[in-house]
Amino acid sequence: MPSARQLEFESLVAPHLSSLYSTALRMTHNQDDAEDLVQDTLFKAFRAFDQYQKNTNFRAWAFRILVNTYITAYRKAIRQPQKVSYDDLEEFYLYKKLDETISLHETAKEDFLENFFEDDVKDALENLPYQFRLVVLLCDVEGFSYNEIANIIDAPLGTVMSRLYRGRKLLQRYLWSYAKKRGYLLNEKN
Amino acid sequence: MKKTDKKKFDCKDIEKNVQAYLDDRLSEKEILKIEEHLSYCLPCDKKVEFEKRLKKLIKLKAAEKSYPKKLELELKKIIRGHQH
Repeated sequence: MPSARQLEFESLVAPHLSSLYSTALRMTHNQDDAEDLVQDTLFKAFRAFDQYQKNTNFRAWAFRILVNTYITAYRKAIRQPQKVSYDDLEEFYLYKKLDETISLHETAKEDFLENFFEDDVKDALENLPYQFRLVVLLCDVEGFSYNEIANIIDAPLGTVMSRLYRGRKLLQRYLWSYAKKRGYLLNEKN
Repeated sequence: MKKTDKKKFDCKDIEKNVQAYLDDRLSEKEILKIEEHLSYCLPCDKKVEFEKRLKKLIKLKAAEKSYPKKLELELKKIIRGHQH
């Protein structure tokens, strides 16, 4: 018979398996590694469950363990410098590019967004350098607040904000290049 | 009210604050200034609406809709001490 503590852990963690796996998949890029990462996270979380304070944010606590487990396991891979130029990252990049390139009504611009395949959005996210990818996933996909993210990734609020804002701008740049590659821009201006 | 508080937001201010605005990180005063600007500046309003849609789209398309059921089994193994 499982103990009350075991049952409590199971009932707390079970609703978050899907989002833990989703984040793990975007971080590791493949299903087997994502499963391993979630499994290790569950194991560590269960072992550390005594340190979890009742009625505090369990979801953020579990994600913090996921992030630590990821960083420990992938330390070598993520230490490689990632060459990205941030100098010309501007706000509203995708909108401005659409405006410059194609003659579209506003409704067509919205259709343009809807036309993106799930795989394009996932690929674009997975191409972000990992520090940016992590905060964009935590904020825009998982819906964590800036403060929760600061706690999860163990970084100051200012770092969270700068990574998030840069990551989103970079993501727009990647989405734009997917749109061009996949031929979403049929009405290009001459 | 300080002199600077009376200053209206221009399009540059919208660019500078749009992400914090969409994440609901601004003070009431700042939100009012932004919304006042958006009420008469159509180009900014369109851009901000586009960003809102994009943010929703990313959430919708990037989250996995399912996960391997194997994980539920692993969870049970872990809490019963049959793992590692």
